[in-house]
Amino acid sequence: MAAVCFSLSRCCSAVHRPAVTAVRFAQTAAAPAAQPRIKKFQIYRWDPDTVGDKPRMQTYEIDLNTCGPMVLDALIKIKNEMDSTLTFRRSCREGICGSCAMNINGGNTLACLNKIDTNTSKVTKIYPLPHMYVVKDLVPDMSNFYAQYKSIEPYLKKKDESQQGKQQYLQSVEDRQKLDGLYECILCACCSTSCPSYWWNADKYLGPAVLMQAYRWMIDSRDDFTEDRLSKLQDPFSLYRCHTIMNCTRTCPKGLNPGKAIAEIKKMMVTYKQKDAVAA
Amino acid sequence: MAALVRISSLCHRGVSPLLFRPSSLIRPLAVQQKDHDCSYLISARIHATPSNYAGSGSKAATMHWTGERILSIALLSLAPVAYFCPSPAVDYSLAAALTLHGHWGLGQVVTDYVHGDAKIKMANAGLFVLSTVTFAGLCYFNYHDVGICKAVALLWSK
Repeated sequence: MAAVCFSLSRCCSAVHRPAVTAVRFAQTAAAPAAQPRIKKFQIYRWDPDTVGDKPRMQTYEIDLNTCGPMVLDALIKIKNEMDSTLTFRRSCREGICGSCAMNINGGNTLACLNKIDTNTSKVTKIYPLPHMYVVKDLVPDMSNFYAQYKSIEPYLKKKDESQQGKQQYLQSVEDRQKLDGLYECILCACCSTSCPSYWWNADKYLGPAVLMQAYRWMIDSRDDFTEDRLSKLQDPFSLYRCHTIMNCTRTCPKGLNPGKAIAEIKKMMVTYKQKDAVAA
Repeated sequence: MAALVRISSLCHRGVSPLLFRPSSLIRPLAVQQKDHDCSYLISARIHATPSNYAGSGSKAATMHWTGERILSIALLSLAPVAYFCPSPAVDYSLAAALTLHGHWGLGQVVTDYVHGDAKIKMANAGLFVLSTVTFAGLCYFNYHDVGICKAVALLWSK
C-alpha cells in the first residue's frame, strides 16, 4: 500500500493528489473502527519479599490491537502500563540471548519468539521454567544449570600449550561443519527444564543443554581431551539418566536437536579407548 | 561459584547497598530455610556437580548400557526363534533374558525415582527379591509345566 501511494504521488502528484489523500485517509480511518481484541493472560506471581506469600496466578487483560505480536511484547506492555511489579528476564527480544525462557501455554519457549495466540477466547498461561527454584515471578534460579555447564569445561583444551597464541588453530571445512547445529545453542535451559529426568535428578544428571555442549567440545577437531571428557561421564547419572524422551528436541526454540547429540555421546562412550583417558 | 559463596557470606542485608545485592539470587531458598544468614551453605548444597562420580576410571556405566542394548536385541531375535522352534533351551533362555531385562529396566526406574541412601538400598533389595522370585517361578514353570513357548502358543489355540 505504501509503495502504491509513493509511486502515485511521484508520477503525477498534481493531478491525483485528492485520490492519494483519499486512499491514505481510508487507511487511517480503518484503524479506530476495529473492535478491541481483549486477550487474557494468566501469569504466575510469587514475591519472596512478602512474608507468607503463596504463589498465585494473576490475570491481565490486553487489547491485542495495541500490543506487539509476541508474548514478550505483552509482558513488557503489562509491566509498562499495568503492573510494574511483574518480574521477568528479557534482553535482546530477538531470540539470541535466551533470557526470556519461560513456560507458555504448557511448553518451554522464548517469550520473544512465541507469537501470541490471537484466539481471544483462550487464556494464555505463563509460568517460569518448570521444576526450577523461583527467584521471583517468572525468574528462575539458574545457578545449578550454570555450575553444570562449567563442570564440562566448555572451552578448547590442548595437551601442548606451547604454541598458544602464536597462530590460529586451523580446521577443515568438514570438521567445522560437524559443529553446525551445536554451537547455536544459547543456553536458555528450555530443553533441560522440559526433561523429566532432569526434573527428578537435576543435581546429578547434566541435562540435554549441557550434554549437547559437552558433545560440541568432544567432536571439535582442535580439542585434545575427547577421551578425558568422555570418561568424566562414566557414572549412572551424568549421562545415562537420558531415556530418549526427546522433550528437549521438541521444545528447543532454536530448532536444535540435543537428543541426537546425547545419542552420539552414548555411541562414543562405547568406542573410546580407556587407556588414553587414563594417560591423560 | 566460589566467588558467589564468598560474596554472599560477606554481604549481609544491613550493610549491602540497596541496588547491589548478590545474595538476592539465592534468597528464595534462604526464605525457605527461614534464615538468610546461612544462604551460602544452602547454595553450596544445591550446587552439586557430578564431580563426585567423575574419574572413576572404569567403564562400568557404559558396559551396563551396552549390556542393556545387547539384551534387548537378543530378546527381539528370541521371539521368532521361540515361535518357529520351541524347545526347553529357548524356554530357559527366555526365562533368563526376560528376568534380566525386567531387572535392569526396573533398576533404571529405581535410580530415577528413589532418592536417599536407605531407600535406594531397600528398593534395590526388593527388586532383587522380585527378580529372583520371577526367575525361579519361570524355571519352575518350564520344568513342571509346558514351558513359556508352548504357554504363549496356547493363548491362540483356544
